[in-house]
Amino acid sequence: MQYTDIVCPFCGCLCDDLEVTIKDGHIESVKNACTISQSKFMNHHENRINAPSINGKETELEKTVEKAVEILASARRPLIYGLSSTECGAISKAVEIAEFTGGVLDNTSSVCHGPTILALQQVGESKTTLGEVKNRADLVVFWGSNPTEAHLRHIVRYSVTPKGMYVQEGKKDRKIFVVDVRETRTAKMADKFLKIDHNKDFELLLALRALIRGEELKASQIAGVPIKEIKTLAEEMMKAKFGVVFFGLGLTQSDGRHMNIDAAVGLVSELNRKTKFVLTPMRGHYNVAGANTVTTWQTGYPYAVDFSTGYPRYNPGEFTAIDVLNRGEADAALIIASDPGATFPKDAAKHLAQIPVITLDQKTTPTTMLSEVVIPVATAGIEAEGTAYRMDGVPLKLSKFIDAREGVCSDREVLDMIIAGLKEAKQ
Amino acid sequence: MISGRTAKQGIGLEIGKLSKSYAESVNHVQLSTDDVKELALEKTHNLRISTEHGSVTVNWIIDKGLSAGMVFFPYGPWANQVFSSNTDSTGMPIMKGIPATIIPTDDKVQELNEIIEKIRSGA
Repeated sequence: MQYTDIVCPFCGCLCDDLEVTIKDGHIESVKNACTISQSKFMNHHENRINAPSINGKETELEKTVEKAVEILASARRPLIYGLSSTECGAISKAVEIAEFTGGVLDNTSSVCHGPTILALQQVGESKTTLGEVKNRADLVVFWGSNPTEAHLRHIVRYSVTPKGMYVQEGKKDRKIFVVDVRETRTAKMADKFLKIDHNKDFELLLALRALIRGEELKASQIAGVPIKEIKTLAEEMMKAKFGVVFFGLGLTQSDGRHMNIDAAVGLVSELNRKTKFVLTPMRGHYNVAGANTVTTWQTGYPYAVDFSTGYPRYNPGEFTAIDVLNRGEADAALIIASDPGATFPKDAAKHLAQIPVITLDQKTTPTTMLSEVVIPVATAGIEAEGTAYRMDGVPLKLSKFIDAREGVCSDREVLDMIIAGLKEAKQ
Repeated sequence: MISGRTAKQGIGLEIGKLSKSYAESVNHVQLSTDDVKELALEKTHNLRISTEHGSVTVNWIIDKGLSAGMVFFPYGPWANQVFSSNTDSTGMPIMKGIPATIIPTDDKVQELNEIIEKIRSGA
């Protein structure tokens, strides 16, 4: 059996042209997938969690749900975290649990593009779809982002090589610039690579903005980049008919954080006085944009939401997962489709080891190893359907084309069971 | 020290976080050819990387795209040992552009379960 137009549930590109062949209930092959996507589809059955467990002892699903309800119902400040690698229906249920328990709700954007969101809420956004980029962009800047390692088909599907309606020769009709602290493989394929000193992005962004505004700069170099190269980039940006800046964690995880994004938006805003220019964050997890979107629908805020007062309050830096853990504030945690045990700095991870943790995941991870309750779940986009949001905010449908192992439910179904248990416990 | 994602890390984590592929994709740092010469690194050496927030022993490979004095650490449980959990009230810890020192060592690289035990013990 062959399925076409399958959406890949790995990164924010959400490539939707995969062809999956199923034989005897297993994935036999995947066409059009990048190497990471190949690994996801072809290894999805490997190293799966055998059964639900409590303190490492395998048990029935119902008993783990009961234990999860007991933990969450008695917690005074539960943290509900993760959500970026599951579908929107499950995210919606997680919001409901956070509200019901008066907990803190956060998703993985707090450690990727959280600073982007902070900046865009202050200064706005000039955005577009990846389809527009493919069809129109004649100048592409990758700033602090490295799609050749993290978004493997971005270059061939959307931003560099594809032939578009107004860029009919593909890469020949586009100019590609890379700004980074090291010469990545993305930098090697660019027309021009600007090697910048680390933690100096803010200065370079402001210098470009000044040049585009018509100011004269007296410095011979800024942020380690010769002024001649900066002027060349500024001129090329102004000459472009449709320019785009794709930025990554090189801007959000270095000094300046959200202020770097503020400066990038300022640069793009300045460019829009001369030509058409947009910017797009390179979102990592395949549905991190969906986690922000669904949380915003239901609470008004995209992440870092606290329900302890009975209504949603938003304060990144206070209600973000790392801060809540680092202060030793959370007294329980529900982790969905995420692995903070492998992705959080050690002091935040240590607090997870001190509190009862309930984790929903497909495979054993450092977080499941630190968890009291572990519930195996179906893989969204392979064993469960749903919706995910691409990095540009376009929603796409995730397919189910094989069954999960008997007794293994989707994230949404397990969260629904927990909600039912919490409601019953309250009565 | 800078950190980030790699394709090998993505491939490894989809096989499984307990797999050899995943461990090998994140239990090393990448450094420049100049620094390898400067440190007189032998293939048998590991590296001890330290920041003011912690230290960890790792494998190493060369990345010709790096300048002397710059080291790249793929995201993962090993890198987390040298990051601060302080977010300066932004929600985001600094994970790039962190001052670090590296020295050759004969110490062995910890296994993932040893790192988990260290987290569990609160050490």
